Amino acid sequence: MSVKGFKEMDFYRKQVRSDCVELLSRFQKTDSVRFEVFSNIWREMKFSHIFYGTLNREKRAFSRLILDTAYSFFLPPFSFQIRVGGLYLLYCLYQCQTASPPEQIRLALKDWLDLSKFEKDAVDAQHLDAVYILRQLMFQKAFNFTAMPTVLVYKKKRKVEKSAPCEEFMERATRPQELINIELLEELSNIHELYGNLKSSVSLTSEQADPSFNLVRKDLIPQLRSTVMDFYKWQQRKDGTDEDEDSDEGTSSKQECSKRAELIASIKSKAFGEAAEAPKSRRHRQVEVNQTNYEAGPSHSSGYSRRNKPSLKTRTNENLYISGDLWKEVTTATHISRLTTLDFVRKEKPKEYKKFKW
Amino acid sequence: MAASKPSTSTDPNTNIPDYEYTDVNSNIFHIGSFREEWLNRLKPSNYSYEQEHEDTFDANFAQEMGIGADTMADLKSVCSLDSLRCHPVDQPPDTDFVPPDPTLRTLIQRKKKQDHRASLKICKNRHDLYADELERLTVGRKPEEEADMVPEGEVVLTINVYYPATFEKFTYVRPHVTLLMTGSHSLAELRDAICCVSDLQVCGEFSNTPDMAPDFISKDHYKSAFFYFEGVFYNDMRYPECQDISITTIEWAKTRNFPAYSQAKMEDTRFVDLKLKVGFPYLYCHQGDCEHLVIITDIRLTHENDCLDKKLYPLLTHKHRVTTQKCAVCHVYIGRWFTTDDQFAPSDPCLFCDKCFRMLHYDAEGNKLGEFLAYPYVDRGAFN
Repeated sequence: MSVKGFKEMDFYRKQVRSDCVELLSRFQKTDSVRFEVFSNIWREMKFSHIFYGTLNREKRAFSRLILDTAYSFFLPPFSFQIRVGGLYLLYCLYQCQTASPPEQIRLALKDWLDLSKFEKDAVDAQHLDAVYILRQLMFQKAFNFTAMPTVLVYKKKRKVEKSAPCEEFMERATRPQELINIELLEELSNIHELYGNLKSSVSLTSEQADPSFNLVRKDLIPQLRSTVMDFYKWQQRKDGTDEDEDSDEGTSSKQECSKRAELIASIKSKAFGEAAEAPKSRRHRQVEVNQTNYEAGPSHSSGYSRRNKPSLKTRTNENLYISGDLWKEVTTATHISRLTTLDFVRKEKPKEYKKFKW
Repeated sequence: MAASKPSTSTDPNTNIPDYEYTDVNSNIFHIGSFREEWLNRLKPSNYSYEQEHEDTFDANFAQEMGIGADTMADLKSVCSLDSLRCHPVDQPPDTDFVPPDPTLRTLIQRKKKQDHRASLKICKNRHDLYADELERLTVGRKPEEEADMVPEGEVVLTINVYYPATFEKFTYVRPHVTLLMTGSHSLAELRDAICCVSDLQVCGEFSNTPDMAPDFISKDHYKSAFFYFEGVFYNDMRYPECQDISITTIEWAKTRNFPAYSQAKMEDTRFVDLKLKVGFPYLYCHQGDCEHLVIITDIRLTHENDCLDKKLYPLLTHKHRVTTQKCAVCHVYIGRWFTTDDQFAPSDPCLFCDKCFRMLHYDAEGNKLGEFLAYPYVDRGAFN
């Protein structure tokens, strides 16, 4: 792929991602993992059209870009429904792409475990359409088995534009539910019962109900279960009032920030109000307090104002005046071909091609 | 010299590549072990070049999932390609143009660009037309004989070899050559596949004898070269004239408490034997001081859409076009001579094509006119 192709695709990246997010958002709202529902949304949005209008080499580069974008939604930490949507998205994009031969989906070795777990979960839950589509992609040789998810060219970006992954797509914390599940409660109940029986048999032998034997609570299992249920309900309730809490926190933090800012501003204005005395070696460059700026207000006060000298080039250009076209020709570099031209023809105006601004 | 090869680590996790820096490069892994990891996880049908039959797939799927024929038929119809069509059956759309009234943001942006392109007078752009010509020639190619087929499950590396950097001016373009190589190739084959105009230079001054053909080019004189990957210098020792030019660097590093480097022969080292990082810059040095960055941008298993003809590898898929330097007199032919201390030339040094050079500097009998020095010149775009 050429450098130009890479550069152009960078400009498409944000738009492509937002379109995919839009599609998956609609799919998430349906609370379904059926492919029928997904294909309805696909037709509704006319998502196949996303490949139209690309020319020649751009077809392949664009296919590569959009497949890499969709691939990221197929992996954790996204929720199962979003991952199913990501799989459907990969399938649809692979089938509808206009590049010929088609561009493959890049499957990295480190992601194979996630893929296997996903397939097992889908099989266990009998999501036939998800399993079918995954198997179909394998059957149609849609995957490239690679080392890394994307092609790497040691490209370090100056501006790190880390687009935060959509939080709505993440699965919320379910560690308590996963840990304290039905099987565990059942097992604990059995062990508890066994322990009770054992304790009572020992107690019968000694013919004395020793209070030191009471090491566990009698209602341990029901209490554990009710605690987990309470957490779940609290989680549900918290989601509903998320906005109110956010606004409250914002208000309180705003007040704190403004108070602190005022304090810092007052300290700064005091410091800048008094001119620092220059050391002996620099007594000829005393700092002068700019009185005009001081009147504007404490937050805008800046005691130091040192004039920036323009560069030598700038000063020369300002002072030197050359008339007519001679100045133009002097500043522009010539070409070696003109040195051997017989006729002294003045240079034409260079053509100005208007560039497309992304 | 000690031909120490990187040994496979017993830790299995080091052979599963992961990001060292996100979107920049991967961690170190052994390429051969990486291939074994993939082959262990996949079934042979996954990386085979043969396409399985659809009915076989359907029957296997139905049996494995335990569903009946009716359910299978429903599933197939739901997941068929017809469910993805976004246009009426009788109106196939023109895929070369953005449809009117697009709602997707990508299409809105692309429509702007399309309108801008339509407003230009230039209708054909040669850069766009020929940008992927090398790739188009070889994609999906099959060999004529079965013996020349790339074996299934073979590793393919995509390697960028960058042109030496010139700091005369800054530019965002990083000129490079992209090569595809299989894991069974040796580093010496990569060395032979790299084209650089430094290898074509001719030594000596030829103003008195312009018709004498040069006996050697630089590649014949200076055969030594090395690759550097992850602390190991791989030297080219295929010919008796070859020297170990990496020993200078190794000795220098030793005196300055650098970590120890090792050496190996590039003709004895295959890509599957290497341990390296994907996306990390390494070094190829030849002609003494001509240095190229080498970045392995991708490692993957072969696919049926790849070029499967073994004889065509190493495969060139991208090549940067360098602007050629024309003759200073006629501006038509590419420069073949450059002169210094030349009283006839408009600049010093100055480029001439062969025809203008002889007409300007020699008389009808071929005698030298005036005082000048003349050297053969090889255009930087010689490999365009």
